Amino acid sequence: GDVYKRQGLRICYKMAGSGYDYDVSTLSPEGKIYQVEYAMKATENSSTIMGMVCKDGVLLGTEKLIVSEMMVSGSDRRVYSVTKQIGMVITGLLPDGRCLIDRAKEESASFQKQYGIPITGKVLADRIAQFMHMNTIYLWARPYGCNIIIASLDEGTGPALHLIDPSGQCFGYFGCAAGKGRQIARNEIEKLGSKNLTCKECAFHLAKILHKCHEEMKEKKFELEMSWICPESGMVHQMLPKDIQKELEARAQETLEKEAMADVQSQIMKNINICLLYTSD
Amino acid sequence: MESTDRFVPVRDGTTIMAVVYDGGVMLGADSRTTEGSLVYNRVSDKIEPIHKRIFCLRSGNSSHTQKIAQLCRLYVSQLGSELEQAPPVYSAAKIIQSFIYNYKSFLSAAMICAGWDPVKGPQIYTVPLGGTLVREKIATGGSGSAYMSGFVDTHFKEGMTRKECRDFMIQSISLAMFRDSSSGGIIRLVDITKDGVSREYISHDQLPLKQPLSLIH
Repeated sequence: GDVYKRQGLRICYKMAGSGYDYDVSTLSPEGKIYQVEYAMKATENSSTIMGMVCKDGVLLGTEKLIVSEMMVSGSDRRVYSVTKQIGMVITGLLPDGRCLIDRAKEESASFQKQYGIPITGKVLADRIAQFMHMNTIYLWARPYGCNIIIASLDEGTGPALHLIDPSGQCFGYFGCAAGKGRQIARNEIEKLGSKNLTCKECAFHLAKILHKCHEEMKEKKFELEMSWICPESGMVHQMLPKDIQKELEARAQETLEKEAMADVQSQIMKNINICLLYTSD
Repeated sequence: MESTDRFVPVRDGTTIMAVVYDGGVMLGADSRTTEGSLVYNRVSDKIEPIHKRIFCLRSGNSSHTQKIAQLCRLYVSQLGSELEQAPPVYSAAKIIQSFIYNYKSFLSAAMICAGWDPVKGPQIYTVPLGGTLVREKIATGGSGSAYMSGFVDTHFKEGMTRKECRDFMIQSISLAMFRDSSSGGIIRLVDITKDGVSREYISHDQLPLKQPLSLIH
């Protein structure tokens, strides 16, 4: 949009919505709800989150920038257990995300109380999606500015992943990602075919993809949070044990460096071949 | 006439019974509903459908048990549409339990919830007066159940065939109806398997133990 600058006064931006974006209960003439789009922007530049469904379970992971050296490690949590067999990871506006996690815990508890069985991933995802959507129709509330991935392992339906965005859209996936590195992550997940791997094997790939997503900002310190629901974790949602995670990350770094070297080498070979082509006449 | 005589609650005096056999579960009940000493309905149906493969048997105060069954049907249908698959029998039993337990000082209801679901197969859950929830392979209830306990304990075995189960149930319920004044009429049977539900009734002349016609209400 245009930028107006006034001497001595604050800078005003003419918004892309130009008048149709003041509240979430207004539709623009093109049929968009700008407030919801702005909420989605809040998640576009935030930490990458991703999940993968495997043969015997499901994995969740996120990379988070370490904001301050003085912070107690582990206090900026992104991956939470909602029930024994359901985990959730959040990205975007984190306080919004944590509020949704509380809501999810309440929904699960009340479902269990009423029906006697643990809530399934799909039902929980639908309920949270409806709840997020509610904030996109009324005047007095704003949308939740976060993407969440819900991973679950039910007796009946097996492992499942659901991704919910600020508009309240909720789909089931075999592999999904959101946040800054989502494009890289999605490409890698598609190439991987995690449905044929076990969780143990896939955890390495998860670490590798998350490291890859972070490559552009190598200078900034970051750490990973990974969790799984699989036979190794006793079929409950559990953070990856620290030693396993450390080992996987080290291997992931090594592999990425090797691949980078291999890329450079193949580039050199290509150049040599080109030189040979020109000098062989 | 004393004031207590004017309002006598309609009761399913009853004999109700459910048995898990090899391949499904069979529910059986008599058909007598009494109001004091009057037989209010001699062909009543005490087997209530809750969902496609879940039924419940009612005993105690008729209005209480009908209402509980109706509410159970409502909640289970909501659960079924949320889950998008067959709701567990356990959930239906839990809903019945929550009503009977939480309102036990107001209600006089004892129910048996039985059915089939894809995860656990055929199941029976009893919820007696106080609101306990117990899963069983065979359940009996109602005032007539006392008169058939000896027979049931002797002749029940797990994993009967459908025919054995049907004969066993018809015999037991007849015995109860023969001796209990609050049970009588016809025997209603419902058979639930994974392939479907079938209903039948055994009329008076087919009962193994019959009272002479002149004594029938």
